[in-house]
Amino acid sequence: MPEVPLPHARRPAGRCLIVKVALLAALAALAAAPAAFAQTPAPGAAVDEQVQSLKSDVLDLNRDLFVLEQELLYPANTQVAVFVSMDAGTFFGLDSVQLKIDGKEVANYLYTPREVHSLVQGGVQRLYVGNLKVGKHQLVAFFTGKGPHDLDYTRGATLNFQKDIGAKYLELTISDDQKKLQPEFRIKDWD
Amino acid sequence: MVAALSIAWTLPALAARPRAQPGMPAPDFALRALAGPNVRLSEHIGQVVVMSFWGAGCDACRAQLEALEQDFSRYGRQGLRVYGVEVADDQAEALHFARGTHVTFPLLLDPAKGVARRYDVDNLPMTVLIDRDGKIRQVVRDFNETSRRACEDELRKLLAE
Repeated sequence: MPEVPLPHARRPAGRCLIVKVALLAALAALAAAPAAFAQTPAPGAAVDEQVQSLKSDVLDLNRDLFVLEQELLYPANTQVAVFVSMDAGTFFGLDSVQLKIDGKEVANYLYTPREVHSLVQGGVQRLYVGNLKVGKHQLVAFFTGKGPHDLDYTRGATLNFQKDIGAKYLELTISDDQKKLQPEFRIKDWD
Repeated sequence: MVAALSIAWTLPALAARPRAQPGMPAPDFALRALAGPNVRLSEHIGQVVVMSFWGAGCDACRAQLEALEQDFSRYGRQGLRVYGVEVADDQAEALHFARGTHVTFPLLLDPAKGVARRYDVDNLPMTVLIDRDGKIRQVVRDFNETSRRACEDELRKLLAE
């Protein structure tokens, strides 16, 4: 009597195949899971992104407001700005600068060693910005600090200038006079 | 019109606003020191700063400065900066007083009292604790054992942040 394969005898092989396929599918799903997680942003990350974006917007807005404020307070037609720069500084240790325009004190700035270092390194400081009418004006700057041989040192510099329509930029420069071994103070008109 | 009204409404409120209260940014200043370089507060962002306003002839101020000297020697390496700001009418007397105190932290001179005004100094000694973000954390308008302990506790918290 020939052996007839029983249908149920094949079942185990079929079940095995199904189980194998299911296992492979599960493994494939597991292998793909990290990639899927990476593609879907976590809720925390989304909030963080939104916060960063908001921060950036606030900073942009703050900058725009600052520019607008400056334009409103100091229109280009009447604006006068005074800058300070320092070259070398071997013969002068800057302590403070007092600024007078037309006899009126408009700025009195005390410098820390860090600020002086920044100036010596080539930094330019905007000491004053204000408004002036068209016409003749006088700027007087008093520099105090330590001069040669560490002695107290005060010097002044004066500039008579003409303010026309348009912004006026002036620069107080402190440099070393190598011939005289003394500091030199000048006021430059950028026009 | 609306802008003008809003400004008119805001200005009195700003004028009435207290200048130096805990939680507010500490008003910046630059002052000359009795000995050593000039000091600007904004250069100390990232450090804990204690400012003690003192006046000549004030015994409590002397005790306060000496107590702060202990804090300074203990926590100086952890980023604590201590400044004594003199609020005196007589500069010569203030200098004499300062020489009598044995403190190693800088004593700053505020001859125009501009800084004292900005910090609303209405009692001496007055101590202001400023956190690493430059915000006022505590204002102590007295000096006694209780205030000293409270101040030191707050100081430890600030240094740990």
